[in-house]
Amino acid sequence: MPDFLARVRALPRLGLGVSTEYGARRQDGALDPLELRRRRPDCAGFLEVGVEVVKGLDADARAWAAGGLPTTYHFLDINLDNPDDFDPPWLEGVRTIAAELRPAWLCGDAGLWHLGRRDRGHMLLLPPVLVDEAVAPLADGLIALREATGLEVLPENPPGAAFVGELHLLDFFARVAERADTGLLLDCAHLAMFQRARGHAPLTGFDGFPWDRVVELHVAGGRVQDTAGLAWVEDDHGTDVLPDTWEIAAEAVARAVNLRAIVVECERNPIDAVLPLFDRVAALWPGRGPEAA
Amino acid sequence: MSRLDPRRVQAALVCMHLDPAYAAAVRGPGPLPELADRERELLRAVDPRALAVDPYRRARAVHALLEEYPATAALLGVPAVDAFFSSAAFRTCAFEHGSMALSFGTWLDDHAGGPGRIEAAIARARRPRAGAGEGLACNPCVAPLLVPAGSLAFLERVRARLGPDPAAALANARPSRERPPRGRDREPLLVEAGPGGEVSLGTASEPLVRLLLLAGDGRPHAALAAEAVRLGAEPHEADELLAGLVADGLLVAC
Repeated sequence: MPDFLARVRALPRLGLGVSTEYGARRQDGALDPLELRRRRPDCAGFLEVGVEVVKGLDADARAWAAGGLPTTYHFLDINLDNPDDFDPPWLEGVRTIAAELRPAWLCGDAGLWHLGRRDRGHMLLLPPVLVDEAVAPLADGLIALREATGLEVLPENPPGAAFVGELHLLDFFARVAERADTGLLLDCAHLAMFQRARGHAPLTGFDGFPWDRVVELHVAGGRVQDTAGLAWVEDDHGTDVLPDTWEIAAEAVARAVNLRAIVVECERNPIDAVLPLFDRVAALWPGRGPEAA
Repeated sequence: MSRLDPRRVQAALVCMHLDPAYAAAVRGPGPLPELADRERELLRAVDPRALAVDPYRRARAVHALLEEYPATAALLGVPAVDAFFSSAAFRTCAFEHGSMALSFGTWLDDHAGGPGRIEAAIARARRPRAGAGEGLACNPCVAPLLVPAGSLAFLERVRARLGPDPAAALANARPSRERPPRGRDREPLLVEAGPGGEVSLGTASEPLVRLLLLAGDGRPHAALAAEAVRLGAEPHEADELLAGLVADGLLVAC
């Protein structure tokens, strides 16, 4: 197999996209992806579909896929570092859903999606333990999923308030990407959470990060909260993007020479409320695709 | 245990998120055999406030159990269910890739009597695992059990009283003053789970339930045939009886 920097040339440029997950539109006023595409195709170049295999796809995701429109598959139910999680029924479910979505790639938070085994009520999301010993198991899982699906698998830095381990998050994911020879999804809002939690400036750790492996970015709103004097960021996917996240996004776009996609995560907001957000992200990435010309 | 295992660290972190007492124990001086020194050192560096940013995390976990054990919660009270998340049984579940619902059922033991055992059996049938033994096993989607007579009716009565949203009904309820049946007479039951998670629950003959209990994760054919004879089958009918149970999907080959 060619190395990732050769393989990345075959990945499509998707431009700006929007995310969804099962039942996201049950909330009043939540974003309708197809309506966004009708009104502003430049904002909805693709749909990133959050998938729990046990739930499958909802009507929005199915309608989008039935139209042959571009997608990415964002997993919500695999602890990549745990071989026990790669059970045959789950893998078969992933393949079935991927066959319907025909995603450009798989991606998802490379963290702990569930305690214990995959089961009802077990879902949570914690970041990986940022130590060297966690690199190989995670990389092995990425390779296993890539081989099982035939699709690139991009690990994403998860959100969190409690980060364990001495490595910087960017150093950790750099080592994972190198070992798995894979691309990366950088969530700018999640990175801002980490930098704040560790007392770093927004761009700490950028030098030395393998920016040529970054294929996708996420930009999302967040809200600063206080717990007993600890300031932390709630990843609320609202329309207020924190200044740290904008700073990270602008610098990431400038450095990510193989960038193919940016998701604006705002699935539970009305279209009119999110259009200014898309416009600001689009301005960061003028060369995002044919539709940008 | 000197090598750092990131999954062990993460399991401990889950327990710290759900159980402030365990988080305090990790930070404290007492022994914690499940963690190596370096693992514990990493966890001690976590700001305790960062573990408390989601005040509903434990409540959501309790809610998940209430959905599967409504009659148990009605009998014992929601605080008794909540206590599971401070138990060694929960930590074993987190550390050993377990299932909360199954671990809770084991931890529960006989504290909620027959209704609790029936709800634990439903949880087992919904989570089938292939048998590890040899010969023939009870179908993992089938859970046979013997409980005190009247347990099934009691369970159905409590569940009907709780209505379609038992967790909401339980939130403000006090533990029931009703006690589950505890008599010596046994009620043989079979729980069967379908592929979509739907469950059927009904009585069965006691010899059948005892035979399926013996089959468990797998027993040699000859041992099951001998048990069938002990339970009342004619010796020349035993093989045919077992073949019939296989055809009915109650026994499966390992």
